[in-house]
Amino acid sequence: MRARILIVEDSQLVTEAFSVLFTEAGYDVDVAGTVAAAIEQGTSQPVDLMLLDLSLPDGNGLEILEALRRQESLPRATVAMTGDNDSRTRRKCIEAGCAEVLLKPVPIGELLRRIERLLA
Amino acid sequence: MSMSDQPDAAALRKRVVTLERQAKATQRTVDELKARDALKTQFLSNISHDLRTPLAAIITHAEILREGMLGELNQKQRDSVAGIVNGGQQLIDMIDEILFYVRGASDQVSLVRTEFSITEVVDQVRILNQALAAKKRLTIERLNGDDLPLVFADRDKLKHVLGNLIGNAIKFTPDAGRIWISFARRGRNADELVVEVGDTGHGIAKDHYDLIFREFAQVDASPSRSHHGTGLGLAIARKLVELQGGTIWVESQLGKGSRFFFTLPLNPPRD
Repeated sequence: MRARILIVEDSQLVTEAFSVLFTEAGYDVDVAGTVAAAIEQGTSQPVDLMLLDLSLPDGNGLEILEALRRQESLPRATVAMTGDNDSRTRRKCIEAGCAEVLLKPVPIGELLRRIERLLA
Repeated sequence: MSMSDQPDAAALRKRVVTLERQAKATQRTVDELKARDALKTQFLSNISHDLRTPLAAIITHAEILREGMLGELNQKQRDSVAGIVNGGQQLIDMIDEILFYVRGASDQVSLVRTEFSITEVVDQVRILNQALAAKKRLTIERLNGDDLPLVFADRDKLKHVLGNLIGNAIKFTPDAGRIWISFARRGRNADELVVEVGDTGHGIAKDHYDLIFREFAQVDASPSRSHHGTGLGLAIARKLVELQGGTIWVESQLGKGSRFFFTLPLNPPRD
């Protein structure tokens, strides 16, 4: 069965780019543009990997992890994507349970390799 | 002293009132300028974030094409798409420099000190810049330092400083020039490390020694200038060096080259 990736990102431009990338790489892709939509999607169907943008219109992306944990619907792995290379942001993500924190834009070869490893 | 030498009490009072009014007006101006500066910093931060997002999308799309994920490209097409990726990456680097500066301006930069080998970091930065230097047939050498003790500093920030200085040297050194990094120890107990990044570039006039370390400053700021960038590289380098208790300066000869120096305490207090 194909692994399911949930892209949580409020920029439609970025979502479109990632959708193409992961679909072509052989994954099932879902997208959510808000904290609320991501929690809804994450609880309705199991997610293998969540790609998480931190700043969303209705809150911080890490809130999604908290909510999913409470509902015992955590994805197998979560990768945070941030536009700011700050050690404090990085620490917060790891503490919240992210497996990786990557600085946007991640070269796609590297991104695919890491995701493959997390899902292995 | 005769009565006529006494300052007139009424005149004095008047003078005091005037001075007080002027002081208040000055304070108002200072407050207003501070508020405007904060607004500008916020604007820079927002605009940088907002520029970064669509750029990231452009680069990802271009990479998908370049990797042939949507069908094989011929060599010419691949080269052209690689140009989009490289140009986009260059823009991202500039935006990151601005974001980094903005964070520093609002004092959000914190130090994470560890013990490490500075020559190892220098060699890493050297290798990272090798491709860029090779395009101009420049050599980057480390002249000494194998016997240096470990330093106790913020590794990432030091790497950033070296990256900015070496990047700057590459930018302003004409083809087939030389760039070098060397170390010296000074101070009563040889407890201060002086790091030098030198080049055989255009050099800097003495009048500009201070200017180049200022934010957004470029010696040639005209739109037709041949060297472009954010004008933040050296300002950031200065900030990061000073944050770790060091100083940074330049010695240069026009037409001969420049030597940038910065110091790093070898045994800083560990708290």
